[in-house]
Amino acid sequence: MSDRLKTLVFAVVMCIVCSILLTTASRGLQRFQEKNILMDMRRNILKSVNLVKEGVPYSYGEIEKLFTDNIQPIWVDPSGRQVEENRRSEQDFRLYLYTQNGSATAYIVPINSRGLWGKIHGYLAIESDGSTVSGFTVYKHSETPGLGGEIEKQWFQNNWVGKKIVDQAGQFVSIGIAKGAVTDKIPPAKQMNYVDGISGATLTGKYLSAGIRQILQQYEPVSISFRSRPKADSTSRSKAANPD
Amino acid sequence: MENLINIALNSVFVGNILLAYFLGMCSFLAVSKNMQTAAGLGVAVIFVLAITTPVNWLIYSFLLAPGALAWVGLPDLNLSYLKLVLFIATIAAIVQAVEMVIDRYSPALYTALGVFLPLITVNCAILGASLFMVERNYTFSETIVYGIGSGSGWALAIISMAAIQKKLRYADVPEGLQGFAINMITTGLMAIGFMLFAGISL
Amino acid sequence: MNGTTAKPLTALRRTQTYRDIARALWEANPVSKQILGICSSLAVTVQLQTAIVMSIALTMVVALSSMAISMLRQWIPRNIRIIAEVAVIATLVIIADEILKAFLYDISKQLSVFVGLIITNCIVLGRAEGYALSNPPVRSFMDGIANGIGYSSILIGVAFLRELLGSGKLLGYPVIPEALYKAGYVNNGLMVLAPGAFIVIGLFVWLEHTLLKKSR
Repeated sequence: MSDRLKTLVFAVVMCIVCSILLTTASRGLQRFQEKNILMDMRRNILKSVNLVKEGVPYSYGEIEKLFTDNIQPIWVDPSGRQVEENRRSEQDFRLYLYTQNGSATAYIVPINSRGLWGKIHGYLAIESDGSTVSGFTVYKHSETPGLGGEIEKQWFQNNWVGKKIVDQAGQFVSIGIAKGAVTDKIPPAKQMNYVDGISGATLTGKYLSAGIRQILQQYEPVSISFRSRPKADSTSRSKAANPD
Repeated sequence: MENLINIALNSVFVGNILLAYFLGMCSFLAVSKNMQTAAGLGVAVIFVLAITTPVNWLIYSFLLAPGALAWVGLPDLNLSYLKLVLFIATIAAIVQAVEMVIDRYSPALYTALGVFLPLITVNCAILGASLFMVERNYTFSETIVYGIGSGSGWALAIISMAAIQKKLRYADVPEGLQGFAINMITTGLMAIGFMLFAGISL
Repeated sequence: MNGTTAKPLTALRRTQTYRDIARALWEANPVSKQILGICSSLAVTVQLQTAIVMSIALTMVVALSSMAISMLRQWIPRNIRIIAEVAVIATLVIIADEILKAFLYDISKQLSVFVGLIITNCIVLGRAEGYALSNPPVRSFMDGIANGIGYSSILIGVAFLRELLGSGKLLGYPVIPEALYKAGYVNNGLMVLAPGAFIVIGLFVWLEHTLLKKSR
């Protein structure tokens, strides 16, 4: 066999062996990877309504159970009405309801915003009064570690709890990320609509604010329907949801 | 447009591929002793990044990404696990091709850049930029800007480093700190300098 | 120590494998002496946990790729040997990446592209080219492990300092006592950021140079 032929045969055999190995590994592990992604998503949804704590390990069984017991994924149309899974159309969007004793105590909006470097994915949970944030989580982003990457940290996400997406008159204003501490930069009347910014990550904050605003605008019909529910009812329920 | 300018500014300064993501350190430390070679390698990196990142984007989007093969009627196929192999092969092939083209048409450029091109295949910044481009879901135009920006950022870093090293020859560095150690610390201080650009907003 | 245990020890010291490992670990520790392999590894040293996982992944890739290349060394044609080496390494890196995604999902999310960049890590190709091509499989495997451990020691050392000083934690558990914070201690934010890694590495090498000079 000539050298050239030998080289060619070696290259071909090598390619085949490598591709078989890779395909086997990728196919064999795909099931686990998909499960991981699903569970990570669910854990973040649960985290946004404070059903799981940061830093505590949960087994997949526990997450599965918490999710099916408390969270109800639904579709809503642009006017805020719930649509059946099999009858939904293209422009309908996802909403997760946090239900306790058969009634919704919060609703969770998937966030898919632009960041500085890439998409920011997360969840924003709003209490059943249709205006108070009960939690915010980020599960995927590509911001710079230490700067914009702080959005995934607990201190940043904790700031969101209790903020309002409406102003004092009850009009929708969304939530903004301040350039620095809210208490320094924002007049007192508007402080409830802003969270502390991350130093050195002005742009991440700017894009995330804009993204959240756009998404909440889209979900505003849902929020309005929650806001127009009987008041006493909703406060008692949201208290039940947050005993602390 | 504003978006593209931001990507460009950030890939050169705050998110500098060398100073913030540590990519391309090998050649950075090995070649920064001399200003001329540093500049040559810097230009070569810009050149190669500007070509390979968009080409890898095309390969990823039309061959590898989940559902990318829909145009040949295979919408369920997900070959993204092959991206590493294909990217590195593309980079090696492009570098080789660029070398041959330059050799054939511009001997002057070849004498200036030629020696650096083989070095570039193993430069992690090149593969890193392609991987980041996938990770961050860039569009094609963003990828082009990102490729050129990252290359410029890398070139800027190595040229500044060469300039600092030139000055450093007159400094009285403690014995154990000489060479590699002081280079690392200098790079760290440079990285701090580059981070100051974080406050810039358009 | 009595003669019975000392004898196998000296016998062990005489083997080629032992000498190669010792060389990789002490005399030619990859990061500081060969300046290789420093690419791509520092970004994962913000936390100890990611650094440890990265180290294990890299050690396994070096060891297995060295072994595979050593087994193939009679068949690999000279003129395409680099490509063949890269193909073996890339295959192993992708498998490592897939395994991490399947079983250590959270950590693999943090490691993001840096596992993939093991391919361009100079240590891996360097050992394949410089050692595995001319040595038998078992010894190449051990050489890979030794080089991997040498690299890991630096990576984990840097991560230890960065996590301890930067976030006051080790492996995610707070270790700096609350009282110290009350007394005015603050975490060093610089350590979390990229410049911290460069400076820590610089100081590490300084320390090593000084110690090596003393021992000589």
